[in-house]
Amino acid sequence: MLAIREMVRRKLQFGLVTGVVTLIAYLVLMVTGLGLGLNQLAGTALLALDGDHLAYSDRSNLSVIRSQLSEAQVKDIASAPGVKASAAIGYVAAAIEYQPGEVETAALLGIDLGSIAAPKVIEGRSLTPQDRRGLLVDRSWASLTGTRIGDTLQVPVGLATEPFEVVGVADQGSFFFQPAMFMLRDSWRTVSYRSVDRETPYASVVLLQGGGLDGTRGSGWEVVTKDTAFWNIEGVSAQQGTVDALKYMGLLIGAMVIGVFFYVITLQKVALLGVLKAIGASGLYLTAQGMLQVFLVSLVGTVVAAGLAVLTKATVLSSDAIPIAFTTGAVVSTTVAVVVAGVLGAALSMRQIGSIDPIIAMQQQQ
Amino acid sequence: MALLELRDITKSYGEGAQRVDALRGVSITVEPGEMVALVGPSGSGKSTLLAIIGGLLTPTSGSMLVAGADVAKFDARARSRYRRDQVGFVFQSSNLVPFLTARENLLLVGEFGGADRAALARRADELLSELGLTDAAGQAGNRLSGGQRQRVAIARALMRDPSLILVDEPTASLDSKRGAQVVEALRDEVHGRHKACVMVTHDLEMAARADRVLEIRDGLLQVHQAAV
Ligand SMILES: Nc1ncnc2c1ncn2[C@@H]1O[C@H](COP(=O)(O)OP(=O)(O)O)[C@@H](O)[C@H]1O
Ligand SMILES: [Mg+2]
Repeated sequence: MLAIREMVRRKLQFGLVTGVVTLIAYLVLMVTGLGLGLNQLAGTALLALDGDHLAYSDRSNLSVIRSQLSEAQVKDIASAPGVKASAAIGYVAAAIEYQPGEVETAALLGIDLGSIAAPKVIEGRSLTPQDRRGLLVDRSWASLTGTRIGDTLQVPVGLATEPFEVVGVADQGSFFFQPAMFMLRDSWRTVSYRSVDRETPYASVVLLQGGGLDGTRGSGWEVVTKDTAFWNIEGVSAQQGTVDALKYMGLLIGAMVIGVFFYVITLQKVALLGVLKAIGASGLYLTAQGMLQVFLVSLVGTVVAAGLAVLTKATVLSSDAIPIAFTTGAVVSTTVAVVVAGVLGAALSMRQIGSIDPIIAMQQQQ
Repeated sequence: MALLELRDITKSYGEGAQRVDALRGVSITVEPGEMVALVGPSGSGKSTLLAIIGGLLTPTSGSMLVAGADVAKFDARARSRYRRDQVGFVFQSSNLVPFLTARENLLLVGEFGGADRAALARRADELLSELGLTDAAGQAGNRLSGGQRQRVAIARALMRDPSLILVDEPTASLDSKRGAQVVEALRDEVHGRHKACVMVTHDLEMAARADRVLEIRDGLLQVHQAAV
């Protein structure tokens, strides 16, 4: 086959351009992975919640930080039409001292036992009503900090700190770029508001299961889908926008590199292609050969890049501390995107191949 | 029946003040097994005529019958097939694919479709040995000498057993001994396999080896020169 033979015999040219495509695709993949990783940090814990909607106080602008709901509102939300199950959740960010002098901000989530918001425990045990000073910690945070079941963490309550015992480990990920930790909602109220009375907020948000709830409103509260909630986490949209811009820039560069390469080698071959047409090659045949080359260069480049990216994640970036994540879907869709970018970039040259006039075969002198 | 019959072919390039009448009514008939040399001064219309016969250009007027079909009426696709199946073209510069070997250059015409690849492989080996290229068969196109290249180009033109062989200044890059060999090889093919051949040349020695010599001046055929 002409296309393959040319690539094999002109290894340097095709090898170089495939190498450049590999680097660009690698960059696009890593940026995509970073976007996914950052999104996971931003809100896996929210996405992992076993519900499809969230209710916020309507002056919170869909910020879990600012959302505060009273007991009456939580009851009101729970009995709204269409709600099948609901769970009040409290949120507060707190500086946790996990070893003397070692402090890290965690997302403390207050939940009610037995509710749909209670996380699955993968190690240790669940909280019980007696665990007023008990905590479930995040798996990757625990392994990163060396925290084990039975350890005591200092949690700020007012100006002082109080010891909380790690009773179990959950794998819910993180929330607001902080590791998620779960405690009883009553404990959350004391950590969050110190003294608790009838005026103290009862929850930050309410997790809901049910249909047709999006847009439901009541006195001082509103319901949105979990997806909307996720994209409204501070920073997520902006961060995704940045990641997308970088990704599209990478794809554009890939398209241009492939486009320019094939433009140049097509120009170099105009006379030869004219001769092949003159001796009976159809424009379709020659264009197909060119397309095959474009396809192979972009596909091989991207597949190598995907291998490298996954390898990088598995070795150099294996630590959970670096927020890069790959899903099969993301790798496949990025591969397709690079190949499509390559084909689009080379489209002009492919059209040019089709329109070469075979008469040039006679216009060349020795 | 004549293999090739041109009737009152004209070809004009450009329009208005820029118009050039390259051919002004050319009629030629070529029989199977006949080799015709086309001579004439530079700019007289030789290449234009050859391009029209080879299906690379369409005439402005006139008809051109090849085995009974009017090629002048073909659309681009039909012309491409005509070039592939009925014409063997040897250009002035050999125009081999530089990164393919001599043999691969021959086999390439099998990729254009409509051919039995195994038969073509046999034909390639046959032509390579007939033209003394067996030792050069594995050499890349850009490593061959000028003479080898020209012979590979001739072999390529003969690969699909065309009824019409068109040759544009085949010997320009060869010394006279090599040139004579090339023309002899073509003559054998034309006579042995009943093909029609039109060869443009300004080398009168070469022209003398053809069965008939046509002279063209200012786009018009001159009265027949003496046949050999
Ligand atoms: N593509 C073209 N556009 C305009 N004029 C052309 C073109 N090709 C050839 N001509 C003109 O047509 C005439 C015949 O040219 P050509 O067939 O190349 O003659 P020859 O091969 O005998 O030298 C010349 O006057 C030439 O300048
Ligand atoms: Mg000429």
